[in-house]
Amino acid sequence: MTTVVPAQQSRGGGGTSGLYDVLELILDRGLVIDAFIRVSLVGIEILKIDIRVVVASVDTYLRFAEACNRLDLESGPNKSPGIPEILDGATEGAARSKTKGALSGAGETVSKAAQSVAEAIRGDEEPEPEEAPARTRSRRPAARKSASGSRKSEES
Amino acid sequence: MSTYVYGIARGTLPDLGDTLLGIGDPPLPVRALNEGELAAIVSDCPPELKPRRRDLLAHQHVLTEVSDKRSVLPMRFGSVSASDEDVRTVLTRHADRYEDQLQRLADRVEYNVKAVHDEDAVLHQVLSEEPELRLMAEANRAAGGGTYEERMRFGELVANAVRAREVRDARIVEEALAPATEAARPGPEGGGWFLSLSMLLPKDGAEPLLEAVAGLENTHPWMKLRVNGPLPPYSFVES
Repeated sequence: MTTVVPAQQSRGGGGTSGLYDVLELILDRGLVIDAFIRVSLVGIEILKIDIRVVVASVDTYLRFAEACNRLDLESGPNKSPGIPEILDGATEGAARSKTKGALSGAGETVSKAAQSVAEAIRGDEEPEPEEAPARTRSRRPAARKSASGSRKSEES
Repeated sequence: MSTYVYGIARGTLPDLGDTLLGIGDPPLPVRALNEGELAAIVSDCPPELKPRRRDLLAHQHVLTEVSDKRSVLPMRFGSVSASDEDVRTVLTRHADRYEDQLQRLADRVEYNVKAVHDEDAVLHQVLSEEPELRLMAEANRAAGGGTYEERMRFGELVANAVRAREVRDARIVEEALAPATEAARPGPEGGGWFLSLSMLLPKDGAEPLLEAVAGLENTHPWMKLRVNGPLPPYSFVES
């Protein structure tokens, strides 16, 4: 689905959903003038570490393997002649029901990385519950875990 | 008191204080520093400025409001000058450079497009198009998932195949959108998307881009495209 997020956002909760998508532009692009100092973006570095971990890690490989293992191959256009019919019948139901879980798990890891960015920019003393979407609130503990895990992997 | 700078505009701006609020808690009033043909949009800088969500939104909001009426060179978030006087000095010293850029970007806005894959669809595509991977998947499944090493090896091959499709699809998107834009620049790398592309468009000239995006999603249903705009031209200013 195509969504256009207008930049003319109010400063309330309505603007929050669009912020993540333009965050890196506000932080990484725009005019820089040498004579000015720039605010430290210490927390923001967590973002890039997280992304790297998500993209190339043992977890990713195992997750992909798991997802493929459970993917319903027979619904695709290139049905393989290699699988005996009886196996199809036995695994199809289970495969279909489990695939969703595995794949949404993959998406969730990326979401965690995204959420740790949200954590990073929120700052410590920044509860602002009235602005945070419900989805963000419920995942905050997971996001913290993800962020601290990344720091560990950076040190090792 | 140090001075936080949001952007540089052309012409003299009236005092913005009553209508426009900037960063800080409570939000600080925004004002203009007029110097020659240019005006810096500034506010006081709160102590301990950090990239908080509220302040990022405020930075974006100020630029959006001001650029609604005139062309603005957006500053990167967090640009702080020691004093108003120092900002004026910079405006005077580099006036030509900023005026050239303001002219180039007059009546122009940035749109950013991010492309992501539908993972389910792409994994299906990988196993359909790569017989070796499909055979491995079937063998692993028959063996109850395979050993740890088998799953690692297989998962890495799948990850590489997914990556190859990201590269392929990034090129497809770039080529499809190029005719609808005046200029395009890659966005910073970030999380969750395989392509971030910022494009410069005439104000009120986004229709061809939106049509191209819709067309791409129709012909490539395994891709999702997210469009953000109009934005101040963050990616098209020269520092």
